[in-house]
Amino acid sequence: MSGPVTAPAGVSMSGPAPPPTPVVGTVTVERASKWMGPVVALSDVTFSVGPGVTALLGANGAGKSTLLRILCGLTSPSQGTVRVLGQDPRTSLALRRRIGLVAQQENLFEALTGVDLVRLSAGLHDVPGADAAAVDAVRLVDLDPDDRRPVRTYSKGMRQRIKVAVTLVHQPDVVFLDEPLEGLDPRQRLRMIELFARLGAEGRTVLVSSHVLDEVERFGSNVLVLANGRLVAEGDFRGIRNLMDDRPHRLRVRTDSPARLGAGLLSGGAVVGVWVESPQSLLVDTTTVGAFRRAVVSVAAQSHSRLLEVTALDDDLDSVFRYLVSK
Amino acid sequence: MKSTLLLYRLHLRTMVTKARLVGLFAVGLAALGLGLALRFTNHPETRAERVYTHLITTFGLNLIVPVTALVFASAAFGDPTDDKTMVYLWLTPVPRWRLVASALAASLTIAVPVAVLPLAAATILAGSTSRVVMATSVGAAFATVAYTAVFLGLGLRVRRALAWGLAYLLIWELAVARAAKGAAKLSISVYSRSLLARIADHLAPKNGTSLLAALIVPPIVIVAALVLTTWWLARAEVA
Repeated sequence: MSGPVTAPAGVSMSGPAPPPTPVVGTVTVERASKWMGPVVALSDVTFSVGPGVTALLGANGAGKSTLLRILCGLTSPSQGTVRVLGQDPRTSLALRRRIGLVAQQENLFEALTGVDLVRLSAGLHDVPGADAAAVDAVRLVDLDPDDRRPVRTYSKGMRQRIKVAVTLVHQPDVVFLDEPLEGLDPRQRLRMIELFARLGAEGRTVLVSSHVLDEVERFGSNVLVLANGRLVAEGDFRGIRNLMDDRPHRLRVRTDSPARLGAGLLSGGAVVGVWVESPQSLLVDTTTVGAFRRAVVSVAAQSHSRLLEVTALDDDLDSVFRYLVSK
Repeated sequence: MKSTLLLYRLHLRTMVTKARLVGLFAVGLAALGLGLALRFTNHPETRAERVYTHLITTFGLNLIVPVTALVFASAAFGDPTDDKTMVYLWLTPVPRWRLVASALAASLTIAVPVAVLPLAAATILAGSTSRVVMATSVGAAFATVAYTAVFLGLGLRVRRALAWGLAYLLIWELAVARAAKGAAKLSISVYSRSLLARIADHLAPKNGTSLLAALIVPPIVIVAALVLTTWWLARAEVA
């Protein structure tokens, strides 16, 4: 998966479904859907990823964790097929030696020490020299293998890191990471991002989920975007970023004379729409936020309006996804 | 084999909690107290029957044995399901039957001594013959294994397995199986009491079974329960 962003995959949901495209890669998903009772967690998702780091971007509840659970075989798709290294993750025991998952939930076997936890994972995966491998894996995530405290005393950041060590100790070919940077401080985040990049450079397939846009940008250029269980975009991150920058943005402007300021903004062409929200504020739509921010100051001066505050209302992932879905 | 041993140790460490041990230790002490009380408050001629009825059957086979098995066996898969650490067990490249076997072994390692030893000791304190003590130990151990196998699957399949297990014990084992002869054939309690009675040379319980049936049916139940649990585990939706 590379190159420019493709047409958002989920936008044609109201029409007939497109014919399945042949997919090849380390991880292939073909027309996978998952519903739990009346809730559709994934809808007709098709993609293929190969070695390297691929970011799985989506707001909370978009279906990222469900997709990762399906890819690991923890649950089966209600419809469609999933293959990891050519095998069915739901049934293949051999595959479990070659994949690893950093799950989102925090709980671990709380009575064990960090290194014991990693050693257990190494032993269960038949890693030769499990003791040394466990120590190496713990060091890899900047934790102390001689720390004898049980995991229950660990901070959230330490838990995240020991989970990564547990996942990597058997050197899996395919690594799934569900929000692995949650709870890490900036320095640890940087270290983890470097580690994931290194895994990708070694030829492993790394699929890492996040709901934080800026975080995803640092994982690399390949990205899958999920919204409401649908794959709405896939491809190069820059293409998606451009899509997001080109969309209309809505801002709230607080001023003492919203009608006068709104009229000035409209006549100046800095906005594509204006609504007076209250006697002290107006809402504006613009496709060029930077140019608008520059223009609003001079328009306010010209129209003798007092400019109190400018706030972006839709600079979050949800609005980006809504835009991608509606395109 | 190494992986089974690792899982066995892990189950042991996670299922033994202070609260569980304190609770069951208290029940064990109560059994010993009951044994002593029966010894000193009854005439030797009536004592044996009272020990059999109150201590061995009511307190032992109807309470200590099934509840101990329920507490530990339902926790083996119930705890990891509740705290979502099941994902780490499920993703291991270990055959599912080994996961079940390790959970069974760990549950029995705790449940058999916790259930059987206080009961056997209480029977001795109550002044029972060595034959009755032996029959009590065998019957209780037999029942502990059967209940443990059944409750492993319960812990995997349902939330609040402890409550469901207690409901099963109260409604099925203590009420329905005693009242209806047909239902008695599907009761672990009836088979274990029958086995105990045959070994102790005591009168068979109401709706009791033959020695042969008591020896054959529970192992079939155990194997069936373990096969079913393995099947459920392989198809489990892991959160």
